[in-house]
Amino acid sequence: MRYPDSTKHGSVLVWTVLVIAMLSLIAVETLRLVTAKYQNALQTSTWQEALLGAESGIDLAIVELRKSLYPIPNQAWEGWGNPPGNEITSHELTTIPNAGLSGTPMKIDASVDAPVQLIDPINSWQYYRIRTVGTIKITGPARASDNPQDTKLRRLSLRWERFTNGLLISKPLDDGPQVSRRIEAVVRPVSAFDQAIMSVGVVDLTNQNIVVDSYDSSDPTKSTNGLYDAAKRQENGDIATDGQLIEAGNAQIFGDVATNAGTVSGAANITGIERTDFYQEPIPVGIPSWAPPTSGSMNATTTLTADATRSSAASRYTYNGISLSGGKTLTLAGNPNGSQTYIEIYITGDMSVSGTGQIIVQPGVTVTIYFAGNVDITGNGVLNSNNQPGDFMLYGIQPPANTSLHVNFGGNSQITASVYAPGHDVTVNGGGTNGHVDGSIVGKTVTMPGVSNLHYDEKLGATGMINNYKIVSWFEDNR
Amino acid sequence: MVTVFCGRALPKTQGGYAISELIVSTSIFCSISIGLLMGFTSLERNYAATSDFSLNHADEMRISDYMAMDLRRAISVQAARNDTTIYIPTYYDQTGTPQTPTLDGQGGVVYGASGSSVRIHYYLMAGTIYRQQDNAPALPLAVNVQDFVFDVTDAGKVVTTRITFNPTFNSGGASAAATTATAFYNTTLLRNSRTDIESSVY
Repeated sequence: MRYPDSTKHGSVLVWTVLVIAMLSLIAVETLRLVTAKYQNALQTSTWQEALLGAESGIDLAIVELRKSLYPIPNQAWEGWGNPPGNEITSHELTTIPNAGLSGTPMKIDASVDAPVQLIDPINSWQYYRIRTVGTIKITGPARASDNPQDTKLRRLSLRWERFTNGLLISKPLDDGPQVSRRIEAVVRPVSAFDQAIMSVGVVDLTNQNIVVDSYDSSDPTKSTNGLYDAAKRQENGDIATDGQLIEAGNAQIFGDVATNAGTVSGAANITGIERTDFYQEPIPVGIPSWAPPTSGSMNATTTLTADATRSSAASRYTYNGISLSGGKTLTLAGNPNGSQTYIEIYITGDMSVSGTGQIIVQPGVTVTIYFAGNVDITGNGVLNSNNQPGDFMLYGIQPPANTSLHVNFGGNSQITASVYAPGHDVTVNGGGTNGHVDGSIVGKTVTMPGVSNLHYDEKLGATGMINNYKIVSWFEDNR
Repeated sequence: MVTVFCGRALPKTQGGYAISELIVSTSIFCSISIGLLMGFTSLERNYAATSDFSLNHADEMRISDYMAMDLRRAISVQAARNDTTIYIPTYYDQTGTPQTPTLDGQGGVVYGASGSSVRIHYYLMAGTIYRQQDNAPALPLAVNVQDFVFDVTDAGKVVTTRITFNPTFNSGGASAAATTATAFYNTTLLRNSRTDIESSVY
């Protein structure tokens, strides 16, 4: 019997081993390459998601700031460490657990503070600084990228935690690699009178061929002697609604128009942009906490004295209602020299001015009226000696649910006023022979029959009640 | 005279190959060898091209992420092909410590001196894409990228970056379609209002 040549079989075995070794090497190299790229892609996506976490922290802080604008109790800052109350004056910090995408644990550290450098000297409004850190665990090994530039960019925390309690203080990681991104944003207060017209529901300009534009009474290049000048017209006469319809009535709108997934019907021209993604919940007006005992109802000629100090108790009044007609007037008197004075009136019921009745605002007086009922101003209406809409502001206190209240503002003379009544149906009618209205209107619905010109004073954007907060600076701290 | 061969006679099959057999076997061997060589060469080139593509794609992502990070916080942008300059707020002081912002009197805030900013320059030079911050040494973001092209389209509130390279799968060079197919886009919303053009915050 012949036996097979053992050397030939050995050769086959060697070749087999060699081929398997080569294939294994190729497989290992491929696996190494793919693994590195997979890990890189994973770390990159986690890095991106950490930014979303940090930006969410800013949104959460703004939500709390907005809550603090609501009448008390407003639940602002509940769940945050060291609740600061309505006035935030110190560095606050909270950690917000979050499920993250696909169940990946996410942590958001957010802090809000109010540096004195961020107080507006003109109106004492406080800007807030928000710092947030978004942190997400990295799945996979604590291995740096195969490219050092990736490491410099993404700054993964593989062994050391970069931001501890939101601050750049390194400490050993407690559990597993992670990635953190840190953002600092500054938000500024936004006035309730940030637009020419803002309505919760329908805006109806009722086919008056109205011209809506803007001027800035504080800027001589955008006004003349603090008054509207058509030759210096600006294009910030913005109109917005939380609803779906703006009946423009062949209006010329020198500004932006915004609806909530709605339409602008019949606009002759819009110089700005037309948005359909607008929604802004107006902050409801609460009953003034400072209100003194009521002086009853006013229906006779009366003079109320303003004071040089804003919010002075000496210049605050409460009435059950005001009803002026038949030559009765309400004079809001300031200093004889016309220097700046202030007065605040709280009306628990209705306000009515009709016929030869009139409200007279003397020079230098800034008037703020809070009303809980209806407002009807017709006839001689309001004589605003300053001709500044920021000097005659009407605030409608939020009515109970399912209560229908209104503001009808008209009269023989030009209307120079600002109305914020998001719970009232507001109708502005008249404006004198020229049909001019200077100011800003906010209502549940806004209707403007008989008005041919609405001039929004941009100065109103820095006065009045704070209605929102807006980001004015954003910076990623990538140390 | 008869010579007697005393040993075992060799089987005929173990005798020398006929020339025809040699030719056939050599041809088969050559064909297999050439096939293997071509296969391995192709495999190696494919591996190199894939690896190159993967590296280039990672470079694209990195460059795009760097630019997006700076664009998000930008206050001014000067866009041009392979040469883009972005200005960001002077957030850090000379020691690298964050500064407290101050009001600019126009409804916004500034870090540091009014009107100051930090200049960040992205450019392609000698096959390397750099990121240079003010006068600091330029940081190479990607090397051996002479075939890269980054385009920055400035739409005001939004800036789009588009980065392409030439893949090496084809020995004749990448076609225009193949290069276009490598495009990596990133659209970035600028968070700050710009100082160079009219724009608002979001």
